[in-house]
Amino acid sequence: MLSKTLGAYILRILLSSLLTLGTSLGDEKEARRLLVEIVLREGAERAAALEALGDEGDPVIASMVEAWRGGQILRYRTDNATIILFKDGEAFSTLLTGEAVVPATGPKIDRPSRKLRKTLKRIVDLIDLSSPDFDKRIEAALKLGLSQNPQYLPDLKARAKRQEDSNTQRAFDEAVAISELANGSIENRLAAIRTLGSMKSFRARDYIERCISTDGDTKPTDEMVTAAKRAFAEIDSHQKMVDFIGTLFRGLSLGSVLLLVSYGLAITFGQMGVINMAHGEFIAIGGYTTYIVQNKFASAFGEGSSVYGYYFITAIPLAFMVSAIVGAIMEKGLIQFLYKRPLESLLATWGISMVLQQVFRLYFGAANVSVSSPQWLAGSLQVGDVSMSYSRVALIVCVAFVVIGTYLLLSKTSWGLHVRATMQNRQMASSLGVPSGRVNMITFAFGSGLAGLAGAFLSQIGNVGPSMGQTYIVDSFMVVVVGGVGNLLGATLSSLGIGMVDQGLQPILGPVMGKISVLFMIILFLQIKPGGLFPARSRSLDD
Amino acid sequence: MESVLSRIRGWLLLKDNSDLGFLALLFGVMIALPLGNALFPDGSALHVSSFALGVWGKYLCYAILAISLNMLWGYTGLLCLGQCLFFALGGYAFGMYLMLMIGELGSYGSKLPDFMVFLGYEKLPAHWKPFYSPTFAILAAAWVPGLVALIFGILAFRSRIKGVYFAILTQALTYAAALLFFRNDFTFGGNNGFTDFRFILGADIRIDSTSRWLFIASCLLLFAVYWLVARILETKFGKIQQAIRDSENRVRFSGYSTTHFKVFIFVVSAMIAGLAGALYVPQAGIINPSEMWPAKGLDIVVWVAVGGRGTKLGPVIGAILVNLLKSWATRAYPESWLIILGMVFVLVVLFMPNGIVGLWAQIKARWSKGRLSKPETTVAST
Amino acid sequence: MTHSLIYRDTDLTLSVEDVTKSFDGFRAINNLTFYLCDGELRTVIGPNGAGKSTFMDLITGRTRPDVGALTYHREDGRDFDLTKLREYETNRLGIARKFQTPSIYSKHTVYENLMLSLNRNRSVRKALVYKESTEDREEIESVLELIRLQERRHEHAGSLSHGQKQWLEIGMLLAQKPRILLVDEPAAGMSDEETERTGELLISLEGKHSVIVVEHDMVFVRQIARKVTVLHQGRVLKEGTFSEVAEDPTVKEVYLGRSKHD
Repeated sequence: MLSKTLGAYILRILLSSLLTLGTSLGDEKEARRLLVEIVLREGAERAAALEALGDEGDPVIASMVEAWRGGQILRYRTDNATIILFKDGEAFSTLLTGEAVVPATGPKIDRPSRKLRKTLKRIVDLIDLSSPDFDKRIEAALKLGLSQNPQYLPDLKARAKRQEDSNTQRAFDEAVAISELANGSIENRLAAIRTLGSMKSFRARDYIERCISTDGDTKPTDEMVTAAKRAFAEIDSHQKMVDFIGTLFRGLSLGSVLLLVSYGLAITFGQMGVINMAHGEFIAIGGYTTYIVQNKFASAFGEGSSVYGYYFITAIPLAFMVSAIVGAIMEKGLIQFLYKRPLESLLATWGISMVLQQVFRLYFGAANVSVSSPQWLAGSLQVGDVSMSYSRVALIVCVAFVVIGTYLLLSKTSWGLHVRATMQNRQMASSLGVPSGRVNMITFAFGSGLAGLAGAFLSQIGNVGPSMGQTYIVDSFMVVVVGGVGNLLGATLSSLGIGMVDQGLQPILGPVMGKISVLFMIILFLQIKPGGLFPARSRSLDD
Repeated sequence: MESVLSRIRGWLLLKDNSDLGFLALLFGVMIALPLGNALFPDGSALHVSSFALGVWGKYLCYAILAISLNMLWGYTGLLCLGQCLFFALGGYAFGMYLMLMIGELGSYGSKLPDFMVFLGYEKLPAHWKPFYSPTFAILAAAWVPGLVALIFGILAFRSRIKGVYFAILTQALTYAAALLFFRNDFTFGGNNGFTDFRFILGADIRIDSTSRWLFIASCLLLFAVYWLVARILETKFGKIQQAIRDSENRVRFSGYSTTHFKVFIFVVSAMIAGLAGALYVPQAGIINPSEMWPAKGLDIVVWVAVGGRGTKLGPVIGAILVNLLKSWATRAYPESWLIILGMVFVLVVLFMPNGIVGLWAQIKARWSKGRLSKPETTVAST
Repeated sequence: MTHSLIYRDTDLTLSVEDVTKSFDGFRAINNLTFYLCDGELRTVIGPNGAGKSTFMDLITGRTRPDVGALTYHREDGRDFDLTKLREYETNRLGIARKFQTPSIYSKHTVYENLMLSLNRNRSVRKALVYKESTEDREEIESVLELIRLQERRHEHAGSLSHGQKQWLEIGMLLAQKPRILLVDEPAAGMSDEETERTGELLISLEGKHSVIVVEHDMVFVRQIARKVTVLHQGRVLKEGTFSEVAEDPTVKEVYLGRSKHD
C-alpha cells in the first residue's frame, strides 16, 4: 500500500519535472533502471556512477538515494539472478518495476558500507545544488555555504561557475564567499569580505564578525578589519533600507485596511450626516458572507478541488451585495427618519449594532469562525530582501481599485452627481428634481456595501467574528474626522497617513503605546486643523 | 400645606414642585430601604436583602452618572461618548484605597496588592502611597477625572471641536485610556483591575451595615447632584448653558467665551461622574478597564435618551429603567437580551425623541395636533 | 489712500485697510479698504459672492485676513487690532452682529433672550452668582418696547414669527449697548410692513451707534440709505449716496450685465 503511494509520489514528481524542465532520465522506468544498475555495480565503478548522479539534481534520484542510505534498498539473490528490492515497512517491491513481491527466504540485507553511506550523504547534500527548482537550489547552496564545511567548498566553487540564472549565481557566490571566510587563505578571506559587503548580505554579517575576531585560529589582518567595517556599514544601511520599506509596506497595508473600512463610513457619515455605529457590523456581514460562500464551495466541490480556490472571487461581489441590501433595508426602515438628527441616528444605529452582533452570535456562535485563504493568496512576494504577503498585496491592489471605482462613480455618473448634489444641499437638490429618497437609499447601500467588501478582505488577514467590526470602528471614525467629513480624498490621505504613522511608531513604542500616541496625535492635529485635512465649507453653517 | 411646601422650596432654593417630589421620594427610599434591611429578618415580606441594597446602590450611581452626562448633552449640547472614562477613573481612584486596605489578607499575604506581588513589584509605586488616605482617594476620584476633562476640554473646545467630532474624539479618548489600563505595566492591575476588597473606612465591606451605609451615601450623592443641577439650571449660568446648545454663535457674539463655559461644565460633569464611580466600586466589588470600553460610554447615552434628554428627571429614570430591563432580560432571555435592548433603543429614538419623561407632552401634542398646525419644530440637535 | 485723509479727521470707529482673504485660491476679499465713522449708518450692497459675509466675518474675528489691518478705535482713543481678537472679545469691545438667519435662543423666553444679551460681566463665575437688578430689568423693558415685543415677553422665542425673530435679534444687539452694529439682511423674509418698520428702527439708531447694514432688497436700501458702499469681487466698487450709486454705469453693469463676467 505505502509503496504504492510512494510510487505515485515519485511518479508525480517525475511528471512535474518532466513537464517543467524535461530531464535526461526520461521517465520513472528509466530512473529505476539506472539506479538498479548503480546498485548492482561495485567499487570504483559504482563511485564514479554515483558521482555522475550527483550532478543530475533530479528529485527522483534524491529520494531514491535517500532510501538507499536509509537501508531500504536491498539485494536479494534468487537462484539465477540478483534482484534489487525496495523495502517499505514490511512490504517489498522490486526496484526495477515497482511490483510487490514476497521474498521466499529473508533477503540478504545489503547495508551500505560507511564509505558508501558517506558518498550517498554527499550526493544527497549536493543533489539539490543541481535541482531544476531554483529556490531549492538557492536554499541548498546557502545551507552548504553557511555550514562553512571545507568539504563542500570545491563543489560550490565548481558549480558557481556553471550558474546561468542571476539569482542562483548570487546565492552561489554568497555561499562560496561565506565558506571562504572560514576556509580560505588571508587573501581569499579579504576578497570574501569585500564581496559580501558589496552584496549587502545580512546572513554574512555574523560570519564576517567571526572571521575578524581575534580569538579564531587565523589572526585577521588590519586590511581585513577595515574591509569588514566597510562591509558592515554597507550591510547595515541596506538593513535599514529594507526595514524602512517593510514599515512602509506594513503602513500601506494597514492604511489600506483603514481606507477600505472608512471609505464606506466616509460616504455614509460624511456625506449624509449620519453616523453609522453599525458600520462595523456591515463589515462583519461581509466577513460572514465570505465564510458561508467558502463553506458552500467546500461542500459542493470539496476542499481539495481547484474550483474551491475561486470561492473568494465569488465571495467578493456577494459580500458587497449582501451588506448593501441590509444597508438599504436599514436606510428605508430607520435612517431616513433621522437625517435631521445626526446624534440620534448614532443611538439608533448603535441599537442596530447590538442587535446584529447578537444575531451573529446566535447563528454563527460567539467564537470566531475560520476562513482559510485560497491557495493563490498564500505565500509571499519577495522583492529583494523585502517580503510581502500576497494577501496584503492583493488587498492594496483591490483598495486602489475601490478608490478609483468610487471616484469614477461619484464624478462620472448621474447617480454620483445626484449624490453630491444631495450632500451639499438636500432641500435644494430635491426641489431641483433629484429623487433624494432613492439617492439616499442607494448611497447608504453603497457605503454599507463597501463595508461588506472590507469584511471580505479582512477575512483574509484577520478573524471573522461577531465583534470583528468593533475592532476597526474607532479607527475608522478617526480617519473620517482627520480627513474632513465627507471628503473622500481626505479619507484616502488620512487613512494612509494614520496607517504609516501607526506602523512607524509601533517598532519604537510597542503596539499599545503606538496606538495611544496616534490617538493623541490626532487630537493635537485637530487643534491645528479642526475641520480635518479638507474641512467641509458651507455658507449656511451658522452653527 | 402650600406654605410649608413653599418654605421647603425656598429653603432648598428650588422652584419646581416636581423637584421637591423627587427629592422627597429619594429621601424616603434612603430611610426605608436600609431600615427594611436592618429591622426585618430574612424571610419577612418587608426584608430588604443586602444584595438588593447593593444592586439599587449601583443603580443610583448609574443615575448620578446619567445626570452628569445630561449636564453635557442634554443642557449644553455636547455629546460625550467618553463619560464612562470619568466614572472609571473615579472608580479606580477609590479602588486604589480599597486595594491598599486589603493589607496582608491578600492571597500572597503581602502588604502590596496581589497583582503587584504577581508582577514582581518590590515596593509600592510612589503614586499609590497617598491612597492610604480615604480623604485623598475621594478627592482624587473627583480631581483626576476633572483634570483629564480640563486638559481635553481646553484642547477640544479651543479649536471648536463640537457635535459629531466631539462625540468621536471623546470615544477615542476613552478607547485610548482603556488600552492603557489594560497594560500590566501601567500599575493598575491590567486586565483584571481591582477586586476582592475587604475593608472600607475600617469596616468590613461584606457585612450588612456597610451595605446600608454605602446605599445611604449613594442616595445622598444623588440628592446633592440632583439639587446642584436643578439649582444651576435656574441661574444665568444654566440659561447660558442651554443657549450654547441652541445657538452657540449667538452666545459667542454676545460677549461670552463659550469655551470657558463649556470647559467649566465639562470639568464639573467629569468630577460628578468620578464621584459616582468612587461610590460604585465598593458596591460592585470590582473595577477593571472594561468599564472604559467605548460601548459603556454609549450605554450611558442610551440611558439619558430613554429617560429624556435635557430633563432633570429623565436621566435618573432612564438609568434605572434600562438597567432593570437589562437585569430582567439577561435572566429571562439570556440568548436574545441584546436584541431586545437594541430594539428598545431604536424604538425610543424613532418614536420617543424626548424619552419617557417627554412621553406625556408628546401624547398631548398628538391629541391637539388636529386643531393646531404642526407644533414648533424641534431644533436640529447639535 | 485718499479716503483715509477725509476720515482721519473725523471720529472713526473702524478702519479696514488693504485686507485680502482667500479661500482655496478664491479671493473672497481683495485688497479692501473701508472706513466707518462714529454714529454713521452705512449700507453695503453687492451681488452674490461679492464678499459681504466674509467682510463681516473678518470684522468680528470669525475669520482672519491673509494680509491687511482691521482696527477698532475706541472712544477713549485706544486702538485695537481686531485680527488678534476672538469673537467674544470683539463683542465685548462693542461690535455686535446680527446673522442672516435669525439667531436667537428658541427654547428661552423673549425676556431671557434679552437678559442674556445684557452688557454685563460675562465670566463663568459671575454667571453663576448673577442676580437681576432693577437697572437690568429697566434696560430689558426699554428694549422690549423698542422692538414691540412687550406682550410676548414670557413666550418662547421659538414661537415668534419670522419677522419678530429678526426684531428680537436686533433687540438682543441693542441690549449689548454696542458701538458698532453689523446687521446682515435684516429684511429677509419680512412682509412689506415689517420691512418698513425695521427700516425705521435702523434709522432711529443713527447717531447713537455706527451701523453697517448688508442688504439685497433695493426698496429697503432706498429707504435707509445714507452712504452706500458697493462691494464687487471682494473690492469696493463704488461709494456714495444711493442715487450716485444707482446711476453709476459700472454698478449697473455688475447688477444687470453680469452675464459678461460669468
